[in-house]
Amino acid sequence: MKEKIKIALAQISCKRGDKAENIKKIESRVTRAKRQGAELVIFPELSLTGYTMRDQIYELAETIPGHSTTFLEKLAKKTGAYIVFGMPELSEKTQATVYNTAVLVGPDGFIGKYRKMYLPTHSVFEEKRYFRPGYQTAVFETELGKIGLIICYDIFFPEVSRLTRLKGAQLIVCISASPATRRTFFETLTAARAIENTAFLAYVNLVGIEDGLQFWGGSRLVGPNGKTLVQAKYDEEDLVIGEINYADIRPTETFVPILKDLRPELFDKLKETAENL
Amino acid sequence: MKLEPTILDLDWSEVETKIKRFIKDYVEKSGAKGMVLGLSGGIDSCTAAALSALAIGGDKIFGLLLPEQETYNAKDVEDAKLVAEKFGFKTEMVDVTSTLEAFYTSLPIFEPTDKICKGNIKARVRMIYLYYYSNRLSMLVCGSSDKSETMMGYFTKWGDVAADISPLMDLYKMQVRKLAQHTGVPKEIVTKPASPALWPEQLAEEELGIRYEILDLILYGLEHFMKTEEIARQLSVKKELVNKIKLRWLHMEHKRRMPLTTKIQYRTMGADFRLPRTSH
Repeated sequence: MKEKIKIALAQISCKRGDKAENIKKIESRVTRAKRQGAELVIFPELSLTGYTMRDQIYELAETIPGHSTTFLEKLAKKTGAYIVFGMPELSEKTQATVYNTAVLVGPDGFIGKYRKMYLPTHSVFEEKRYFRPGYQTAVFETELGKIGLIICYDIFFPEVSRLTRLKGAQLIVCISASPATRRTFFETLTAARAIENTAFLAYVNLVGIEDGLQFWGGSRLVGPNGKTLVQAKYDEEDLVIGEINYADIRPTETFVPILKDLRPELFDKLKETAENL
Repeated sequence: MKLEPTILDLDWSEVETKIKRFIKDYVEKSGAKGMVLGLSGGIDSCTAAALSALAIGGDKIFGLLLPEQETYNAKDVEDAKLVAEKFGFKTEMVDVTSTLEAFYTSLPIFEPTDKICKGNIKARVRMIYLYYYSNRLSMLVCGSSDKSETMMGYFTKWGDVAADISPLMDLYKMQVRKLAQHTGVPKEIVTKPASPALWPEQLAEEELGIRYEILDLILYGLEHFMKTEEIARQLSVKKELVNKIKLRWLHMEHKRRMPLTTKIQYRTMGADFRLPRTSH
């Protein structure tokens, strides 16, 4: 496993409903990022299709493996890059059960996927209408370290990142499609999740306008001490590359030993209490 | 939450950027050649026009002045032209008096003393002119309704509210005033009392029976799910007034939505036919 890795935050806008066009953009960003030395290239939530699909989701969703993941696997093999992107995943067992999924592919092909656990269905969001929630956190052991995947609203629920970290993830990748009115929440929570788990966190947000929603971008790489290592522009497409060194986790973990000090018995109490909210 | 005037404060520079980005993105994706705006000389239309010109360039904005004899106000025309000159877009003035007269004389049940029905003809006639120009010029119609009048239903159904986009619709009137000031709309327009100009001397605040300074805070409270008692207490106004405004807001939902139908088939317009909006 490498100790230092270069990560590209590929902050893009998507052409809604046009997978071919979006794949073309993903391909060009991966090529560019790889040329600049990046080993892992991360795209936003639902970057294959755009965020606001509504009823068109049933036409756009694909199984995994499927046409798009096969293409992205080939791209990863061809470029030697690890790629994280988001897509609506159609269940293989049904015809209209869809997940909001993050996919990780690498030079050896498909590595794994994560199905979003917390689906926002309030304000402008209607994800529960269309998606089935996932039930598992996801951590994958790769040449680039143990990588955990979460998606957007999951970040509001510390238990998702916590479980991901406890399963060994040292880099938590959060892909997102967050509209501008929520920027301050994410700017706070990305730092908080990194600090409380003493892990690196890569946050990649969508940009562009869909149905009047303006996605704010501001993608960032956060260190285990909560410091932002690199940050993409607000509101515009951008590609920024930052380097992380897993060795930096140790001094942070000794300075504020959060994982050492965890109290598992509180989790049972949390469960009991949450059931009776 | 404390209902005081500062609660309506926003980062005006950010709001301006967001609105301009929204306009530019929508027009570009639609493939339209620009936008037509009805320019009354009032704060909403002048602000919408100014922002549109800043977003896509004045050469792609067409301001249409549609005065008529009964409500003609030389100052409004002058103000509209002032904004057009400052933000660099073309205008054209079309007197719609003869069109209105044709309606009045051809409607068998026309009643000149019924101000509302007659006024609504004016708003809808202006809409027809705007859409004719937009069709002919391959442009979109940009509306200028604000959040206060939209929540209150203070507009003519299929009239002044008819547009392809309404960039100011998420801003209360007091906020539009602040944004206008920030954007550089001339002061005399910013401070001018609002009027839909449907009949002579019509003033929005008089007709609504409340000043925008108070109305906007009541609406802000309602938007944020505050109880009417709490809004009344904080603003030192009668609970009945807040209730009246709440009821009006709720009763006017029919003016803000597509026509209702009854569900008969698999997917239904306005109910579960849920498609993303495209710009063209």
